[in-house]
Amino acid sequence: MKPGGKRHILLIGMAGGLAQITARLLLTENPEWTIHGVDTRPLDHVASLPRLTTTCMKYSRGNFENLFRAQRFDAVLHLGRLSHSSNDQDQLARRLEISVMGTSRILEMCLREEVQKVVVLSTFHVYGALADNPVFINEEAPLQASIRHPELRDVVEMDQICTNWMWKHQNAHSTVVLRPCNVVGTQIQNAMTRYLTSRLALRPVDFNPFFQFIHEFDMAQVIARSLTCLPTGTYNVAGNDFISLREALDIVGSKGFPFPVMLADGLNSLLSMVGKEFPSYLLDYLKFSCLIDNGQIKKHLGEDFCRFSIRETLELIKLR
Amino acid sequence: MSPMSLFGSLKFPTGISAADDALINEAFGQLRARYKNYQDPWGFSLETCEQALRRLIPLYRYYFKVRLFGKENLTDEAYIVVSNHSGQLPLDGMLMNMAFVLELDNPRILRGMVERFMVQLPFLADLSAQTGSILGDRANCQYLLDHGESILVFPEGVRGTSKSTVDYYRVQPFTQGFYRIALQKHTRILPAAVVGAEEMFPFVWQARAVAKALGMPALPLSANYWPLPSPVDIHLGKPLDVPIDLSPDAPEKDIKEQVLKVEGQVKRLLAVGLKHRRPFFDPIRKPLSKLILKQEREP
Repeated sequence: MKPGGKRHILLIGMAGGLAQITARLLLTENPEWTIHGVDTRPLDHVASLPRLTTTCMKYSRGNFENLFRAQRFDAVLHLGRLSHSSNDQDQLARRLEISVMGTSRILEMCLREEVQKVVVLSTFHVYGALADNPVFINEEAPLQASIRHPELRDVVEMDQICTNWMWKHQNAHSTVVLRPCNVVGTQIQNAMTRYLTSRLALRPVDFNPFFQFIHEFDMAQVIARSLTCLPTGTYNVAGNDFISLREALDIVGSKGFPFPVMLADGLNSLLSMVGKEFPSYLLDYLKFSCLIDNGQIKKHLGEDFCRFSIRETLELIKLR
Repeated sequence: MSPMSLFGSLKFPTGISAADDALINEAFGQLRARYKNYQDPWGFSLETCEQALRRLIPLYRYYFKVRLFGKENLTDEAYIVVSNHSGQLPLDGMLMNMAFVLELDNPRILRGMVERFMVQLPFLADLSAQTGSILGDRANCQYLLDHGESILVFPEGVRGTSKSTVDYYRVQPFTQGFYRIALQKHTRILPAAVVGAEEMFPFVWQARAVAKALGMPALPLSANYWPLPSPVDIHLGKPLDVPIDLSPDAPEKDIKEQVLKVEGQVKRLLAVGLKHRRPFFDPIRKPLSKLILKQEREP
């Protein structure tokens, strides 16, 4: 999609912090663009912006058909993946419905209505935190997350649906699938931000994996620039630096409590008896590193596409 | 020979000498300059290495009485150091690493490759990463060579450390991955041999079933779990150039031919080392050596 001119964008997942920052950024930088935001969650808290309209709706085929019939979109930003930081079975069913089936419906509509550009927000969790992960994992690496943790199949399936669709229809549409590292910030409500800012964060004493963090504003910039600067493809999104978990917790000033992660699986089994377990895949991230290679995205966005270093990013979430 | 007289000649370490203290300070001064702008994604820490070296140097000097031969063959460049593997715990790798810091004019930290099993162990995985070890993966090796690091590989793998007594100092067939990496990165190979590590943990029995149940690559049981004070000699050969006309994706037979050359060099170094080794437990070692030599002579 070329920059400039009038463009109408559909932003899915409008209630999320990242979507709101992205919308503000796009509208500020492109005075002729308009955005229509949709979400299944209430949108009352979304700040009203000029040229932004919103709709709260279910991600059903009928609703999307009505939406695409009523409005003609030049681009679709799909940031509407449900968070996978819950083990709840009902939630898992809902995630499969929204993330997998919902995405499939959206892509079908994009094809039918000949949308020029589709950007899908996936996650680096598709690779999985495994003991034998190499540094740095590139986009061609197998998506192994759901092998060890079947409850992550919605995350992996959504990514695969999008990448398959992307190559199948590469002549008709330009599609970008983004796999960002941990996005953290004051406006975003994901598991990693909550973990870092929690007073009860587990502080592993027996492992010290490495992490990559990207600030929510940098991530919003990447999403915004992906509309005009990134050609069809899958892109890992991370800055050039990385940091050990203990150092990250020190920077954010998280006291936490020291805990051997090797005992966490047992503790989790006990907690599961009272229905209070935490996602076991997240425990793997407290043991093993999952660092992603940013070579592909740097080819298009430049060497220093992130404004904030990891240290600055972590310092900023203290403002939360 | 009584056990007391056997250990009588050993000077058990009590501290670090002023000369060693100065040596470590100088070596780590140089290493700090080398690693000034380097950030390691596995958690390698010069501070941890220095602390570990200060604690272990008495073992290096007085217990294993390590000697390094062939350092004149080296220049200040990144190598893939290829060595025989022996002893049931990888103390040979640790002693080689210490030798590369203490004995070379341009000290280097050798980045050792470890098994997948190792990186899953609580506490140990973190400690080994801080002292420079990483998972033996091709992408990891490439990353380190790109950053000018020397890597230490034991192409015998677990077969090297879990040998039975009759196989002591018999080099097991090398795997080929290291050579493909050397071709890809145009890195010279430094053959090395460690003599003395085999005797640290006398082999008793290979507990295969237990190893399998615990998910370990091997579990050779030993008579002791504190290493015996076998004197260790490290022999470094002349660096081997890799052919520029051979592709890293060459067929297995072409790579194998080159790997056999490296294996041959390691075997030659080992033979020289065994000829000039210092006496240790001679009443046990000599009959054992005769047995090994006899078996080697037999077709």
